[in-house]
Amino acid sequence: MLKCRHAVDKADALVDGTPLSRRERLALRFHLLICHHCRRYLRQLRALLGSLPRQEDALDDARTQAILDKLDPPQSH
Amino acid sequence: MPTAPPDSPDFVERLRQGDRAAFGELVKTHHNMLLATARTLLSPADAEEAVQDAWIAAHRAIARFEGRSQLRTWLTRIVINQARMMLRRGGREIQFDPTDEQDALAHRFRADGHWQQAPRQWELAGPDALLTREELRRCMEKTLGRMPDNQRLVLELRDLQGMEFDDICNMLDVSASNVRVLLHRARARLFELVDHFQETGEC
Ligand SMILES: [Zn+2]
Repeated sequence: MLKCRHAVDKADALVDGTPLSRRERLALRFHLLICHHCRRYLRQLRALLGSLPRQEDALDDARTQAILDKLDPPQSH
Repeated sequence: MPTAPPDSPDFVERLRQGDRAAFGELVKTHHNMLLATARTLLSPADAEEAVQDAWIAAHRAIARFEGRSQLRTWLTRIVINQARMMLRRGGREIQFDPTDEQDALAHRFRADGHWQQAPRQWELAGPDALLTREELRRCMEKTLGRMPDNQRLVLELRDLQGMEFDDICNMLDVSASNVRVLLHRARARLFELVDHFQETGEC
């Protein structure tokens, strides 16, 4: 029987879509079926990772220009 | 998970030809994400400098970009190399071999491997939902700031920026198993933090 401790370690593989062996996958699925603590752990871990503060904003024009200004000047041909 | 903007062959070709507007678009799109990556290893001021230097390096090398990786991956690798160079100058080095510490959830299991203290039921909807609460958001940022560099960097690349494991392993030159251990420890810390917050309302 898979222990909760190991189910929690293996939960990463489900989150990441990492392939598990057939045996590992079945053991994990079965454990989650019977253990609501580990089910809750997995559900909440996914929610947590989905809500991490991300930095995806585009840079504003002024700061973009400031970076471009420091690059090597274009070569003349 | 954020998706990288497509590197259309057309756009890549303009970059390789030295098209200034295309390069500006590259900076605009990727700069803040690259800065977030650099900040996992460096102070805010050093991170700014590392990313600026990375843009100069990328600009010099873009004509030779072969498109074998995504632009974003290519740029992130340059930033990480710049950051590691700055760390070395200050006599520091980032280690990717996990120490033999236990993860932050270890104390919550009994010796027989079952939960001693199972996770609490979190509030995931409504006004108290995860991270809509200002205190929890601040608490999370504090925890991210105190996390060991190696865990923080791997978490950033994988869980905040959605990079592929293979790309992360290649760019850090670290084995997949080490990346997974570091990532698991970072996630365990965050889980423990939120669980504690949900119980006590405190950081
Ligand atoms: Zn369990």
